[in-house]
Amino acid sequence: MKALVLLSDGRHPVSGRPAPAGTELQAIALARGLTEEVAGLYAGPDAAAARTALGHGLARLEHRRLPEGDDPLPSLAAAIAAAAPDLVLAGRRAGAGAQTGLVPYQLAEALGWPLVPDVVALTVADGVLEAVQALPKGARRRWRVKLPALVTVHPAAPVAASFAIGMARSGHVEDAPGIDAPQDGTALEERPYRPRPRLIASAAAGASAAERLKAATQSAGPGGRVMVDPTPEEAARAILEHLRALGVLKPAPGRD
Amino acid sequence: MNAASALSLVIVALAILLAVEAVRVARRWHVGRPASVDWWAGLAAIPKRYLVDVHHVVARDPYAARMHALAAGGLLAGSALAVLGLVPPLAGSRWLWALAAIAFLVALAGGGMVGRRRYPTRPARLSGGAFQRLPLLLVGYFGGALLVALDAVLDLTGPLGWLGLVVASLGGFGLVRLLADGPMRHAFAGALHLAAHPRPGRFEGERATALIPADLDAPRLGVAVPADFAWNRLLGFDACIQCGRCEVACPAFAAGQPLNPKRLIQDLAGSFKDAPPAYRGSDYPQARPVAGVSGPERPIVGAGALIHPDTIWSCTTCRACVEECPMMIEHVDAIVDLRRFQTMELAAVPAGAIAPLSESRYAEEPGGRALAARTDFAAGLPLPLIAEKGSCDVLLWLGSGAYELRHGRTLRALVELLRRAGIDYAVLGPEERDCGDLARRLGDEATFADLARANIATLGRYRFNRILTADPHALHVLRNEYPAFGGHYEVVHHSALLDELAADGRLALAAAPDGRLTYHDPCYLGRYNGETDAPRRLLDRLGLERVEMERHGKRSMCCGGGGGAPVSDIAGERRIPDIRMAQARATGAKTVAVACPQCAAMLEGVTGDVAEVRDLAELVLAAVEAAVPQGAPR
Amino acid sequence: MSRTRRDPREEREARRLAGSGRPRWRLDAPPTSGRLRRDPRREIDALRVAGTTRLRLDRTGRAGPLALPTIDTAAVAAPTIRIVDDPAYLVTVVPDAPGGRLAPLDRQLLGAARTLADAGGGAVLVLSFGQIDGLGAAGADRIVALDAESGDPSARAAALAIALAALQPRHMLLPESAGGGDLARRLAAKTGEALFAGAESLTARLATRPAANRRIEQRGAPPRLVTLAPDAHLPHAGAPHEARAIAAPEGRADAPHTGILSIEDLPVAADALPLAEADFVISAGNGITDFELFRALARALGATPGASRMVCDAGLMPRAAQVGASGTVLEASCYFALGISGAPQHLQGVARCEHVVAVNTDLHAAMVERAGLAIIADAQQVMPALIALLTAEGEE
Repeated sequence: MKALVLLSDGRHPVSGRPAPAGTELQAIALARGLTEEVAGLYAGPDAAAARTALGHGLARLEHRRLPEGDDPLPSLAAAIAAAAPDLVLAGRRAGAGAQTGLVPYQLAEALGWPLVPDVVALTVADGVLEAVQALPKGARRRWRVKLPALVTVHPAAPVAASFAIGMARSGHVEDAPGIDAPQDGTALEERPYRPRPRLIASAAAGASAAERLKAATQSAGPGGRVMVDPTPEEAARAILEHLRALGVLKPAPGRD
Repeated sequence: MNAASALSLVIVALAILLAVEAVRVARRWHVGRPASVDWWAGLAAIPKRYLVDVHHVVARDPYAARMHALAAGGLLAGSALAVLGLVPPLAGSRWLWALAAIAFLVALAGGGMVGRRRYPTRPARLSGGAFQRLPLLLVGYFGGALLVALDAVLDLTGPLGWLGLVVASLGGFGLVRLLADGPMRHAFAGALHLAAHPRPGRFEGERATALIPADLDAPRLGVAVPADFAWNRLLGFDACIQCGRCEVACPAFAAGQPLNPKRLIQDLAGSFKDAPPAYRGSDYPQARPVAGVSGPERPIVGAGALIHPDTIWSCTTCRACVEECPMMIEHVDAIVDLRRFQTMELAAVPAGAIAPLSESRYAEEPGGRALAARTDFAAGLPLPLIAEKGSCDVLLWLGSGAYELRHGRTLRALVELLRRAGIDYAVLGPEERDCGDLARRLGDEATFADLARANIATLGRYRFNRILTADPHALHVLRNEYPAFGGHYEVVHHSALLDELAADGRLALAAAPDGRLTYHDPCYLGRYNGETDAPRRLLDRLGLERVEMERHGKRSMCCGGGGGAPVSDIAGERRIPDIRMAQARATGAKTVAVACPQCAAMLEGVTGDVAEVRDLAELVLAAVEAAVPQGAPR
Repeated sequence: MSRTRRDPREEREARRLAGSGRPRWRLDAPPTSGRLRRDPRREIDALRVAGTTRLRLDRTGRAGPLALPTIDTAAVAAPTIRIVDDPAYLVTVVPDAPGGRLAPLDRQLLGAARTLADAGGGAVLVLSFGQIDGLGAAGADRIVALDAESGDPSARAAALAIALAALQPRHMLLPESAGGGDLARRLAAKTGEALFAGAESLTARLATRPAANRRIEQRGAPPRLVTLAPDAHLPHAGAPHEARAIAAPEGRADAPHTGILSIEDLPVAADALPLAEADFVISAGNGITDFELFRALARALGATPGASRMVCDAGLMPRAAQVGASGTVLEASCYFALGISGAPQHLQGVARCEHVVAVNTDLHAAMVERAGLAIIADAQQVMPALIALLTAEGEE
C-alpha cells in the first residue's frame, strides 16, 4: 500500500517562518500508521516548509516546481496519477495562502475518488478504507470507502511526530518541473488582517420563543449570580435552570 | 619456605591474576568511540584528583570516608609490604612483617566497618549480592594475612600461620574474582576514570557543567548503542561502586518516577557486555517492563531494549547525582546523549514535549508565542530596546518566564529596582529568541544550535557590558554553553547584581518585617554555577530570619522544573515540588525565597499547607520601598 | 432594484409604549427593518472587564459575546408576516439544521441572506434536507425540500448542483461548519464555482475573509458561493417571513459515488470524550469526596468529567482528566466546577470556557468570582440533590 501526503508551503501562524501545517504533519503520522510507503507531494515555487516535513517522518518528498502564483492543481493531479497511490492525505487547511481548503476537493473531483473529510483515524482492510470523521462536540462518524481515496485530516487526529533532524537529513527530495498553469491574478483585494467583533444577539437567540422572552425580560441575563447557602434542592433547581438557559442541557422532558 | 614468604608469592600470583583480569576489563571499553585523553597529565593527576576531589565528596559521609581510607589504605600498604618480603635483603625481616601486620590490622578494621555498615540490615541505598559478600572476603584476606604477618613476627608455633595463609589466599582470590564484574572493579576503573575523565576541567576548579555539543555532522546523532559512547564514558560507568548516594539525591527517584541513577549507570555498565552481572540494588520505582537485552551493538533505550524511555525522560538534569557521585560519573551527560538519539533520530519524545520542541524550532519560542509579546509584562514600566539605544551597560535577558504572570511580577520588580538604582539597562525585545535551554535538555541539539547561533548573531550587533537575567537556565546557557558556539559574555544573575547594588549603597534597604524565610537554591544557579553565597548575602541584608533546609547550597534539591521534566511529565507516585515544599515547611519558614522562574512556577503550583513563594527581586523591592519614607520623592 | 419602501410613521407606531398620557416610544428596541440601532454605551458596558477599578475593556470577545439588545418580541407590535411576492433574485441558503432545528450559525446565515436579499428586493430561499422548524421567523421566504435520503455529502452536493443550475440564485450561502463547509467545497469542486470560504463580514457589496493565518484579509464583492464564519452576522430580527414551500427543481442527480460503501454515526459517550473536545465539562475538586456519585452526576448531566490537579495527584481521577495549565486547556462552552476554589493554573485551563457554574463553600474563591452562577454550598450535598432532581424529571 502506498500513501501520499499533500504538503503546502506553510508558515508558522505566529512567527511567520516556514513551518509545515499541523494537520499535514498529523496526516503523515496517520499514513505511517497504515503503511511504510509514505511520500510527500508539494507543487509550488519554494519547498522550504515541505522539506521540513521530512523531519516529521517522511522518507521522500516529490516537489513539482512551479512559478510563483501558478495553480498547483494540474501538477498535483498529474503527480498523483503518475505515482498511483492508494491513499492521498491532506491537511484540513493549507499552512499559508488563501487557506480555503478547496484543493483536496478539487483533486478528488478531478481524480474521481471519494473524499472523506476531517478524519481522525484510519484502518485499511481488503482495499477498503475505514475512516473515522470528527464532528463538532466530540461526535464521530465512520466512513467505509473503496481505495483509492482522498482524506483530509482533522486537528483532533493523533499528535504528529516531533521534528527529527536525522530524518530530515536522510529524507530524499525528488525535484521535477510541474505543469505551468498561470492563474489570472486573484480578484480579491488583500489588506492586513483586522479582527472583527463577534456578533451574537444574545445567548438565548437560538432557543425557543419562550426562552427568548425570558432572556429579554431578565435585566442583564444570567450573569454573575451568587446564591449563598441555599438548600441543596434550591441549588440543584437553580443549576439545572441555568444550564438549560445556556443550552448545554436538554430541556426537561414534558415541559418543552 | 614459611607462611610469610608463601603469602608474598600468593600476593604476587594474585597481582598477576589481577593484571590479567584488568586487561580483560579494559578490552571491553574498546568497543567505545575513541576519545582524546591526555594520558600523562591524567595519570600524574590521579593522586591529587583522588585526595582532593574524590575525598571532598566521600568525606560528606565521614563513616564511609574512614572506612574506605582504612580498608583501601591497609589493603595497598599491607599487600605491598608483603610483596617486599620477597626482596632478598628484606626477606624474613621482622620489622617489615611488623609493619605489614599493622597495615593488615588497619585494613581489618576497615573491612570490619564495611561489614558493620551492611550487617545485620543493609541500608536501602546499598546493593546486595556480591557487595554483601565483599566484607567477608575483605575480612578473610586481611585477617588471614594478619595471622601470617603475626606468625612471621612472633614465630608462632603450630599451623596458625599456614591457616592464615589459606584464609588469606581464599579471600584474596575471591577479591580478584570480583574485579571484572564485582565491587572491586571500582578500584581499577575508578582510578583510570580519574586519569581519563571526559571532563578534566572538573578537577581544575572549573564548574564544567556545560553540555558538550553534539557533532551534528556525525552519521548517527546521539547515542543509540553502547558503541556510540566514547570509551572513557564506558569506563566511567564501570567505575560505579553502587554506593547509592545518587539514588538518595535524585528528585525523580524520591518522587517515585521510574528513574534511579544508580540502576541507570549499572544498566549502562552492563549494556556493552553480553552477559552483565545481575543488579542487586533498588530498582527504578514503578519500573516499566523491558526486554533487558544487552550487547555493544544493541539499542540501549526502548521497551524492547535495556532501559525504558520513561527512565531517561524522568530526569530533571538537576545534577544532584553528579554532585554526589564519589566516582565522578557524569550521569546527566549520559542521559542527554541518550535523549539526543531519541529526539534527533527517532523523534521519540514524550507527547508533552512535541509541541515545545516544534515551537522552539518554528517559532523560536517553546510556547509558540510572539517574540514581541515577551515584553508585555512590563506595561507601564520603562523598558528601553537596545535596538533604539545601540548600547547599554546591562542587557536584561528576559527569558521565557516573561510570558508568564508569576515571573512577570518578578521581572517588574527587577526592572523597577534597576530603574531606582540608576542602571543603564535595555532589553532585546522582539529580537530575543529563546535561549534554547529546553530544546537542548530534551536532546534537540539541532534546534538549540540554530537558536544559539541566531542569538549570538543578534547579541553581536550591540554593545553592552554584561547580560543580566533572572532565569538561571538562561544564565547557564548564555554563560557556559554559548562559548562553544562563539558567544562569550559576562552574564550575571539578578541575585548577584542586586547584592552588588546593595553593597554599593545604590539600593537602600529597610529592615523587612519579621518572618522566617528559607532560600531554595535553583539547580542551575547553585550546582551548575556555584553561586550560593550572593543570594544568601542579599537575603541577610534584608534582616530576615533565614533558616536553611537540610538540603541547600550545591546539595539542594530540585524543584522538578528542569530538563524539560514538566513537559515530559512522566507519572510518579508524588510530585517533586510537593516534596520540596514539605522540606521548606519543615523549617518553619513562612516564605520560600526563589531565584528562578521554574522554581517559582513549580513551588507555587503546590497546594495545601504551603509557604509563600517570593522571588528575591520581589523581596528586595519590598525592602527598598519600605526604605523610602512615605511621600518622599523617589 | 429598488429597496422596500419604509414607512417611518408605521415604524414609530410599532414602538409606542402602551399607557395613557403623553406618547412614549421605546427607543432601544430594534427597528422592524433595516439596520439595528446601536447603543454605544451598552456595547461599552458589555466589554467592561469586571473586578477592576479603572476602566478596562476587552475587545477580543473573550469575556463573552457582545451583548447586543435582545429582541423583545412581546413589546413589538403583533408580528405581521412579510411576503416577498415577486423577487428580483434569489439568495439560497443551505442550513446545517442538525435534528431539524436551526443552529445559531444557521440563524446568522439566514440573517446574512436576508441582508443580501433585502439590499435589492430579492427573496431568501432555503434548500433543506429534511424538515426544518422555524424557518419563517428566521427570515426565509421560500423553502425547497431536497431529497434527504442519503447522508452521503457527495450526493447532497450533487442535489445542490442541480438546484444551483435550475434556480440560478444570485448567492448560495452555507455555514462554515464541519458539515456546511464540507458541502460547500464539494459543490465548488463539482461546479467549478468560485468559493468565498469563511466570510467574516458579508454585505451585498463587500465580503471579507481571513487568509494566511489571519495575517491578511481578502475582500471583494461576494461571489455566488459563500460560506459564513460563526458569529459574523446577526440573525434576522425583523418580522417573520412566509417560508412558503415550493417544488424542488427538476433534474436528475448522478448516481451516488460508488466508492463510498457506508457512512454511519458512531455512538460517543460524553464521559469517553477527550476533555479538549468536550463541550460541557463537569469537574471535581477538593470539595468532593464521593467520586462514584460525581461520575453518576456527570452521566446524568451528559457532561464530560474532569478534575483539579489535587484530585488527580491523589489518584482519585485519572491524569487525563486534569483541567488546567498543566493538564488540558478546555474549549468547552460550559464548565461546571464542583468544590474547586480555582488556583490560577486551573483557571488558565478554563479561560476559554464561555460559561462557568461553580459550587463552592468559599464565597471568596476565585472560581466563584469567575462563575456566571455561583452556589455557596457544600458540593458534596448538592450532587445528590441534582441527581434526584434529574431522576424525578425523567420519571415525569
